[in-house]
Amino acid sequence: MAQESAEDLFEHAPCGYLSCSIDGTIIRVNRTFETWTGYDRGELVGRAFRELLTPAGRIYHETHCRPLLTLRGSVREVALDIVCASGARLPALINSTQRLDEAGRPQTVRTTITEATDRRFYERELLRAGRLERDIAVQLQRSLLAGELASSKSLCVDARYHAAQLGMEVGGDWYDVFWLQDEETVGLVVGDVVGHDIAAAAAMGQLRSATRALALTGLPPGRLLDALDAYAVRHDVGRMTTAIYAELHTCTGDMRYAAAGHPPPLLINPDKDPEYLWDGRSAPLHAIGNGSCRSQATTRIETGGTLLLYTDGLIERRRQSLDLGLEHLASEAGEHHALELGPLLTRLVDRMGDNFSDDRCLLGARRLD
Amino acid sequence: MMFAHGFGCDQDMWRYVWPAFQDRHRVVLFDHVGAGGADPRAFDRQRHASLRGYAEDVASIVRELDLRDVIFVGHSVSAMIGVLAAAAEPGRFGSLVLIGPSPRYIDDGSYVGGFSAQDIDELLDSMDSNYVGWSGTLAPMIMGNADRPELGEELTRSFCRTDPEMARHFARVTFTSDNRADLAAVRIPSLVLQCSEDPIAPEIVGSFVAERLPRGRFVQLQATGHCPNLSAPEETISAITAFLGET
Repeated sequence: MAQESAEDLFEHAPCGYLSCSIDGTIIRVNRTFETWTGYDRGELVGRAFRELLTPAGRIYHETHCRPLLTLRGSVREVALDIVCASGARLPALINSTQRLDEAGRPQTVRTTITEATDRRFYERELLRAGRLERDIAVQLQRSLLAGELASSKSLCVDARYHAAQLGMEVGGDWYDVFWLQDEETVGLVVGDVVGHDIAAAAAMGQLRSATRALALTGLPPGRLLDALDAYAVRHDVGRMTTAIYAELHTCTGDMRYAAAGHPPPLLINPDKDPEYLWDGRSAPLHAIGNGSCRSQATTRIETGGTLLLYTDGLIERRRQSLDLGLEHLASEAGEHHALELGPLLTRLVDRMGDNFSDDRCLLGARRLD
Repeated sequence: MMFAHGFGCDQDMWRYVWPAFQDRHRVVLFDHVGAGGADPRAFDRQRHASLRGYAEDVASIVRELDLRDVIFVGHSVSAMIGVLAAAAEPGRFGSLVLIGPSPRYIDDGSYVGGFSAQDIDELLDSMDSNYVGWSGTLAPMIMGNADRPELGEELTRSFCRTDPEMARHFARVTFTSDNRADLAAVRIPSLVLQCSEDPIAPEIVGSFVAERLPRGRFVQLQATGHCPNLSAPEETISAITAFLGET
């Protein structure tokens, strides 16, 4: 059997291999590293390892790798570029371990360098693809929510939508306002599809269109949600979506509404305390079997009164119960009800919720003289 | 006595330093948002769009704990965060210890920060590369994936944990900041601890900071690199102790 000497294993290993003192000065390098970098060991030994890195790599190495080495004794799979003698860059993956002496004190740092040109290229592609997907999802969502909301001389409507700050920055929340057959009643919808990606945006688009189509058939709100549920189950879209649907007669202010697992609408009638509409509630879509009969309820928006529909992102906040969120929304809305609808919505969406992890969607409708 | 970690790590950075002060001081350690155990929901792109937001976080801790006469020890970018926090809450801070401070990392005319704008762009890119593997392995842990318990164990053992998106954001805010004009507003005694051969905050930057601080003192450490709190804790402790003895 062919014998391998330890010396040869080190010198001609299929990776660059170097040993540094604790302060980062190179003590020894193998032949492979010399070949890859174009430096000979005389030029390398005695230099600081970080001098072989790009300025950006030096920052990363100093702020991430050295602390980790001290605290954990090793770092793995760090992507850094080595600057070769020719000035060319060698994209590399770096692993380092600390070698301790008998007393347990760090003695040297051993580092292997693996070439990662192809891997780096592939990663760039992945990152680019990820950004592209996000852009597409954002555009898709914007185009789905585009279009004017129905309004008239006697009804002012407006909406605010703030996407979550982290992740895809695209959400499955939607809002909609449209005229029904009689041209005197508007349908108002706010819904929340689980997820923050293209699939969520696409499901939102389907459910939004389905709601519009169903509303024009004259189904009352409870039955409309039943039909929407049946649609969602049949086409397997929007699991656990919550939604609220309301029909408001713009002349009389009479309103019928139904909520599927959705936070209650807030009604602010003039000279009255803001009031949450807790009736007409049923489970989210997909949560109950076929042939259910979802309940609905009626109320009345007085002239000058405002109805607010929203998604849970508006009332949820870290370290705060949902009840407190609801209380906060009601008191803010009550206190500033004298504002015009647009400024009122802006104020509420800015003051409420937690802009970190969930979308905040708010739809307002106000009856005018 | 409050210790603030810099970019790249969390309060673990102080593990060899803070115990030396616990007998004589109330020690306050914390993680900046995006690092260590900080609640990720505290992150707010608007608030944290500049170092002032991070300084406001520091000021909130100081107010919440009703601290007075705070000795603020800030490493790396937290040195400038301390400068800003002291300006925001002037009555509560007694002195500043700035380790490896830099009021601006990018060169500007005759000012030498040590980096070009291109270097910093490259840093942000390279951070993407270094986090490609991160989200894939950490996402299941965060979501409590039970069929790979070794991941959870890894997480608890891991030091200097940072959220990639927020770390990238922090990197951008840190390395594009310019707080040279804020130094003159610091009215309390301030110590600049400068390492030898610091590749991130070179000596010329440290002396610049000490000169601009109305009551600044400059002390050169023998320790090399950017993290004397880890590489030379004894020297760091004695330099701080000597400074506190004089003020």
